[in-house]
Amino acid sequence: MNSRGHPAGPAPLVRVDAVTKTYPAGVRALSGVSFAVEPGEFVVLLGPSGAGKTTLFRCLTGLTRPDSGSVEIHGRDICRLGSRDLRSARREVAMIFQQFNLIRRLTASQNVLAGRLAVLPTWRVLARSFARDDRQMALRCLDTVGLLDKAYTRADQLSGGQQQRVAIARALAQEATVVLADEPVASLDPESAATVLDTLRSVAARGVAVIASLHQVGLATDYADRIIALRDGRLLEDAPRGAFDARALEQIYERSDARAVEAAGG
Amino acid sequence: MALGSTPVREYAEPATVWLSRARARTALVVVAVVAFYVVSWHLAKVDLGRLATGLPKMASWARKAWPPATDELPVLLLRAAETVAMAAIGTTAAALLALPVCVLAARNVTPSMTLYYPTRWFLNALRGIDSFVFALLFVAAVGLGPFAGVLGIALHTWGSTAKLWAEAIENVPPGALEAAAATGASRVKVLAFALVPDVAPAMVSVALFWWEFNVRASTVLGVVGAGGIGQELKNSMDLLLFPRLLTIILIILAMVTMIDYGSEWLRRRLE
Repeated sequence: MNSRGHPAGPAPLVRVDAVTKTYPAGVRALSGVSFAVEPGEFVVLLGPSGAGKTTLFRCLTGLTRPDSGSVEIHGRDICRLGSRDLRSARREVAMIFQQFNLIRRLTASQNVLAGRLAVLPTWRVLARSFARDDRQMALRCLDTVGLLDKAYTRADQLSGGQQQRVAIARALAQEATVVLADEPVASLDPESAATVLDTLRSVAARGVAVIASLHQVGLATDYADRIIALRDGRLLEDAPRGAFDARALEQIYERSDARAVEAAGG
Repeated sequence: MALGSTPVREYAEPATVWLSRARARTALVVVAVVAFYVVSWHLAKVDLGRLATGLPKMASWARKAWPPATDELPVLLLRAAETVAMAAIGTTAAALLALPVCVLAARNVTPSMTLYYPTRWFLNALRGIDSFVFALLFVAAVGLGPFAGVLGIALHTWGSTAKLWAEAIENVPPGALEAAAATGASRVKVLAFALVPDVAPAMVSVALFWWEFNVRASTVLGVVGAGGIGQELKNSMDLLLFPRLLTIILIILAMVTMIDYGSEWLRRRLE
């Protein structure tokens, strides 16, 4: 199914199984969360702040180790890998950040090349001189996200939406089979947000498993293949877009918002 | 509805205490600062009367100094060039030494905190000892001449440059580094690719600043016998050759001004 030739057999690309994580302060961030993501799926993770979305992302990249449960990517449990194996496992997983996290002074195409850092020879990185194939690939990735004309523009000269699309191109250059996007449109205006989500959908259509966390219910129901709702560290719902009751979810949001206001002493 | 037309409501404000802790603390600080200056004035032996009697002496020197001596101009210019060269070599050596060390001394990229603290202490020690003092020691060790000055400049500037570079690195937003690390790349690659472009302009700017600073500092190094135009300055003063002294001072002024402007122009172009 996906372009890297991994067998699209019975094992899903990403499998989260009964993951529980409690922080030292006694805050239970995740309790017994399980789900699986297939290649080509665009899954949106919904939930108010503090629902456990960030912790879940950190578990998916091996930045945080769950107390129990497992996180498998390509059948490898990344919670039990040493730092060297973890680094090689990370190559399969590309990250998209809320603040884009581009290298400000480098051009868009150089930023896309950052996705290939792990496989580039060290001397090329030090000399910042890249082989023609790699340069061509960076341009191809920029073309895919519709930013070929900005290839030689410095990252800090691009708009927020353009920067996020460069970040997506970086994920493409990484040839990742899983893309994790933590609040990818939270800092963007609605129009740019739509473009970025369209781009992420097209990435999923290439056989990549895309998991994105979002705040807005409307965007989730518009773009996701499947929606996973989290609240207070628990998996509340896991359903395909069509089977999802948006109204119920909005109520959950409103209720928890109201509670948050109460808790803040408002 | 205009704000003014809303019903008037009294808002509670914190009560004002006339003899509050904050006021007592302010008074204490004022007393301490005044005491500090009184003691300093005495320790520094400020004596305006002696300045009044000394000024005419200086004025007579100034009269005797005109016109500046030009017979030794080529030698003096060579000495000035020596000063600039000392500063350039010393600062460059310092920069090369600072390059690996600043990574250890930057909290956000240091490989381990057990390296971070000793590195910081070492750099603070280098910074704490002025290049003048280092030069004094090196004159004793390697003999008179500009090389002792170069070594003095290099050691002091090593500490100062590495510290400022480390601070520049610590101010880099973590996002780009995190993103590069998330691709599974090794540490060296992440630093070379994501960190260097962000900090390089600031680093070059710091190095230029220290070169400029060291040109000024190394005019003094000659006084301890560490070469450069300062040595001629001291000789002229010792022999009361005022026209020659004036020439040297004019050369120093011209040299420092040119270097300041050049370095400032370069630093502006970096942004």
